Amino acid sequence: MRSTSAVPKPASRGSEDAYRARWRWDKVGWVSHPNGCFPGQCLLRAYIKDGIPVREEQAGVYETVEPGVPDMNPMGCQKGAAWCHALHAGERVLHPLRRAGERGEGKWERISWDAALTEVADAMLDTVQAEGPDAIMFEPGHGVDAFLMPILRFKSMVGGVFLDANATRNDFNVGMHVTFGKFFVSSVDDYFHSDLTLIWNMNPVYTKIEVYHYIAESRYRGGEIVLIAPDFSPSGVHADYHLPVRPGTDAALGLAMCHVLINEGLYHAGFVKEQTDLPLLVRTDTRRFLRGSDLADGAREDQFYFFDGVSQEVAAAPLATLELGELDPALEGRYRVRLKDGQEVEVTPVFELLKAHVAGYAPEAASAVCGVHPDLIRMIARKAATKKTRLMSGLGAGKHYHGDLMERAMSLVLALTGNWGKKGTGSISWDGGPSSGGALIGAKQRLGFEGTEQVIDAIEMVRDMIKAEDPTMTDEMAVIEMERRATTQGGGMMVPPVFSWYYHGGWRDAWNNRQWGDPAMKRPFDQYFQEALDRGWWQGTERPAKDTPTRVLLQIGGNMLRQFRGGQSVLLEHFWPKLKLAVSIDYRLNTTAAYSDIVLPAAMTYEKWTPGGGSAEIMNYQFSEKVAEPPGEAKGEWEILRLLAAKLEERGKARGLTEYTSAGGAVHSLDGLVDRYTMSGSLVEDKLADELVRDTVALGSIPEGTTLQTMRDKGYVRFTGWGRMPTALSIADAGDLKPDSTMTALQWHVEQKLPFPTLVRRAQFYIDHDWFLEAGEALPVHKEAPLMGGDYPFVITSGHNRWSLHSINITNRLLLETHRGHPFVFMNDGDARARDIADDEEVRVHNDVGSFLVRTRVTPSVRPGQLVIYNGWEPYLFRGWNGQADVEPGMVKWLHLAGGYGHLRWSPVHYQPSQVDRLTRADVSKVEPAKGS
Amino acid sequence: MALPAHDEPRPADRQVAWVFDLNKCIGCQTCSVACKSLWAQDEGMEYQWWCSVNTLPGRGHPRDWETMGGGYKDGVPQPGRVPTREEWGGGWDFNYDEVLFSGKGRSVHLQPKGEPPAWGPNWDEDQGAGEFPNAYYFYMPRLCNHCTKPVCAEVCPSGAIYKRPEDGVVLIDETRCSGAQRCIEACPYKKIALNIARNVSQSCIGCFPRLEQGVAPACVRQCPGRAVWFGFLDDVEGPVHRLVNEWQVALPLHAEYGTVPNVFYVPPLGAARLNPDGSLDETAPRIPAEYLRGLFGPGVDQALETLKAEMAKMRDGGTSELMDTLIAYVWKEMFRPFDRDPADITWGDAAPASVPAP
Repeated sequence: MRSTSAVPKPASRGSEDAYRARWRWDKVGWVSHPNGCFPGQCLLRAYIKDGIPVREEQAGVYETVEPGVPDMNPMGCQKGAAWCHALHAGERVLHPLRRAGERGEGKWERISWDAALTEVADAMLDTVQAEGPDAIMFEPGHGVDAFLMPILRFKSMVGGVFLDANATRNDFNVGMHVTFGKFFVSSVDDYFHSDLTLIWNMNPVYTKIEVYHYIAESRYRGGEIVLIAPDFSPSGVHADYHLPVRPGTDAALGLAMCHVLINEGLYHAGFVKEQTDLPLLVRTDTRRFLRGSDLADGAREDQFYFFDGVSQEVAAAPLATLELGELDPALEGRYRVRLKDGQEVEVTPVFELLKAHVAGYAPEAASAVCGVHPDLIRMIARKAATKKTRLMSGLGAGKHYHGDLMERAMSLVLALTGNWGKKGTGSISWDGGPSSGGALIGAKQRLGFEGTEQVIDAIEMVRDMIKAEDPTMTDEMAVIEMERRATTQGGGMMVPPVFSWYYHGGWRDAWNNRQWGDPAMKRPFDQYFQEALDRGWWQGTERPAKDTPTRVLLQIGGNMLRQFRGGQSVLLEHFWPKLKLAVSIDYRLNTTAAYSDIVLPAAMTYEKWTPGGGSAEIMNYQFSEKVAEPPGEAKGEWEILRLLAAKLEERGKARGLTEYTSAGGAVHSLDGLVDRYTMSGSLVEDKLADELVRDTVALGSIPEGTTLQTMRDKGYVRFTGWGRMPTALSIADAGDLKPDSTMTALQWHVEQKLPFPTLVRRAQFYIDHDWFLEAGEALPVHKEAPLMGGDYPFVITSGHNRWSLHSINITNRLLLETHRGHPFVFMNDGDARARDIADDEEVRVHNDVGSFLVRTRVTPSVRPGQLVIYNGWEPYLFRGWNGQADVEPGMVKWLHLAGGYGHLRWSPVHYQPSQVDRLTRADVSKVEPAKGS
Repeated sequence: MALPAHDEPRPADRQVAWVFDLNKCIGCQTCSVACKSLWAQDEGMEYQWWCSVNTLPGRGHPRDWETMGGGYKDGVPQPGRVPTREEWGGGWDFNYDEVLFSGKGRSVHLQPKGEPPAWGPNWDEDQGAGEFPNAYYFYMPRLCNHCTKPVCAEVCPSGAIYKRPEDGVVLIDETRCSGAQRCIEACPYKKIALNIARNVSQSCIGCFPRLEQGVAPACVRQCPGRAVWFGFLDDVEGPVHRLVNEWQVALPLHAEYGTVPNVFYVPPLGAARLNPDGSLDETAPRIPAEYLRGLFGPGVDQALETLKAEMAKMRDGGTSELMDTLIAYVWKEMFRPFDRDPADITWGDAAPASVPAP
């Protein structure tokens, strides 16, 4: 027994001392990558030698939260462990640059900060005067790391348009929003409690590296892991079962599981009666819900009804609670109801419609569609009925044209099996986490406690005014409504990108291509688009307007030409030529920066204090310290925008321009702009950290007495409350936040009977919006994916890659060596043989949209007919700079223009059309290797 | 202390060992990046990855290393060969300047300078074997096995390789190494590489400077998958001993090479196999048993049976000491006694130095 001590250090021997000397450092600092990687926020330490962070190592200081659940250590991944290699990398921008050749040519001249800012400010002011501030677009991204704070603050003062950052990334779970009225997520340690984990439209082995262990550990705890994916994806390596679903048929599979659950009587009747709309009555004549307004004049349009089995009468579904009390809603049967006009109509519960609907999805029939054997469908459905089941469903489904239908069907499996609101159950999306100081700083007018209270008071007043309009509203509904109004009244923060894409981006033709869209569309896309506007569903958000093309583009850490589906070819043809000035504020020269006219060098994480935001997945508040000086002339983005504000003020004064008005009516004053932006000079980057900690304490999200020093001593503080300023994205989790427990989303709906923020205030599987009825999508249904890109034999699936966050790390030299160092497409070995294509051979992937050259990776793990090309490749890694986005038509689903219906209306970061990429059609052809390169 | 020049290295007093759980490893490369960042950044080491993770089945790193010979047969060192630079791959130098700052636009793209690479440290990632839908693969981290019978040491003409008595780490004394590369030929795992700038052989040093400070190796402490245990093999209370010797679920790779390696693997369970009609095929595992026996020897069958039996206990609501060990509720217990936080170390100064406050 000699285990208690480590290894004694012997006297100097051989070359040992040289290695001992290498493992030394001068300083350590806490680092994290809070915006580059959301919700990552892994706490690492940078080890600094001679002023340079030479390496990172996970801090490993997280304490056990729930006894019997593994701790969160050592959170981090290979990207985080290689981050410092980007500080001095070949793509780093060190000085302000002005384009000296054609856009994209790579000819630059170095200019002074003053010259660069003057050019940017003049272009902005020219634009403001000629076309108004809406012709200025901000495109914030993950390349810089200030969590949007300075950008939102700056933009609120100077005006301009900011496209909804979630829509441009398509990190959407539309089907979850349609069903639950929100996105939500449990804390990652809650994975451990699952008895059945359905990895479905997700690849956590790639995308959840830092917390994946909870899945593997749940298997050792007695849980089972099922991968549901077209290919035997990397997340199959530790799965017990793989259901090789035919691409795009997940809804058929989910509905077949529902068929089993209903037909075998395995569904949890009590749960669906209480939590869902399945007992609500629908008129069989109109296929619309029976509403209060059907029964009495002046009654609520959003009052819905059950048939109560106790009283044998139609009863109003409670609005302010899910609690049923003495009611026992019927799930089946057909009933007669007399309407206010004396007419008698037949009504039936949604469940009855669903039962008839899923009759078409018997396992044998569905198997013919989805390719999963009926026995497996039954097996998984039966397991789900008796086990704590979690959908590990990430952001993949929403990137399918009919991903909403997939998610609605998957959610229905959870509903029928009673699988939400309890530990180990539910689904995975994302959230905003507890409120923290970062959420306030954009709106504060002065530093300190009073400035904080001012902002909170104003917000609470608005929320309470909204609640007063309808006392049955929950706080959550009020917050969602408040955020919506903030963007539709008075200019707001974000606008849905669909209008920019349609009017100015060049996507209108693609969206009207009937072959690439949903065959259920009875009319051209244009007509739906116009109808949606005519009916006022998008009022206040139609910006930039049709006659206001974007003239100045300010990319702040964004990479539009890489990120937008159908991206660069469309944008460079339609959007770019209208730009008078494209500006990129970034630390690295990404593809979009390469096509910019001015590039301003930004500081990276590590070169400035960077606060973490909230994330209930991780539940820790932490900072990334400044551990290095910015190289060259790089500056933090707080400072860059301060300098730009000063230049705008100066140049405005020179041309006699002191204020201007936006299309939405907001007045923007240049006079005193810098003072407002900096709160009279008090807001400087270095003071920010302290202010944010104090505000987070003031919000009640972290314990009283926490200071910046606490953070510096311990590295992190676990959130103890959701905070006083919840956003729609944080209040959505609706779970208890305890010091010794995992957090389970939707707990309050199940335990406290809190209504959901949907039209019917329950998890809603029946959508009686007239467009949904027209589409045949009132209930979740399987629809074949449209032939996006044309009728070609392959479908492209993709997903986040393993090696980079967005494209941030994709050019990191160290990480490039952890794969082939160039973009590749996985294809099935049989398909490759049939086309005489070898592994690592350069091929052309092409369709009616475009083409690109890429090397193959031949594997039996990909199904025949499937091409897997992961996202995130910087276009300039491809020969000719064309990548997979150049074959993606960038379709949006027309139905997501539907609005004016409960929770189906514009909602920032939530409900809006978003471009999809999955299952683009293409072919693969051999090419002669190009000579000489 | 001078090193004795002898052919038979002195056995270590104690031996550290690694156990990698292939049912937890996700091939994320954090271990290899951590190692590379810490130790293999100098000129001449560009292509060196002392720790690398590969997808199995595959040709690995260096390419086809299992066919290159070396090791012992009946106690006699076997002939082997040095991998070529192409078989190693990697060490790529990218043309950032040419693409981004030279005015050539789309006529050039970012790629390694020179000939396009034909291999690299992780070239066959996620490719695997089998036939869809029964494709199979898993991830395996590999590093120096710090063998109990290090054939590299025996063949070294300079007597430059020794086992540290304190921990059994196999080290190359770079002041003695003559660059003869006999060790590279002899190592059957092909985990030694030449520093092409200094003409000395280099390989994993077991992070001994960390061990001396009570800190686990970088590949261990930085594994986000919590897939690796580390400790003294003779610590009968420790997880390494329990997994290797008591439960016998952790097995060495290619024990037949005869060097008695000290890196062990919990073999992969694999997903269920499907029949041609898509139904479950419970007659055979997805990962062929023969393939696993080829890697881990005949003991792999029993190891997998033990894992399955203990998992079944947990599924039935029972308890299992083995499963509790593999779950590893408390991270630091995975590598005791090497559980010190490196940031607490002082290098002769009064207190650990941190960056200044804002």
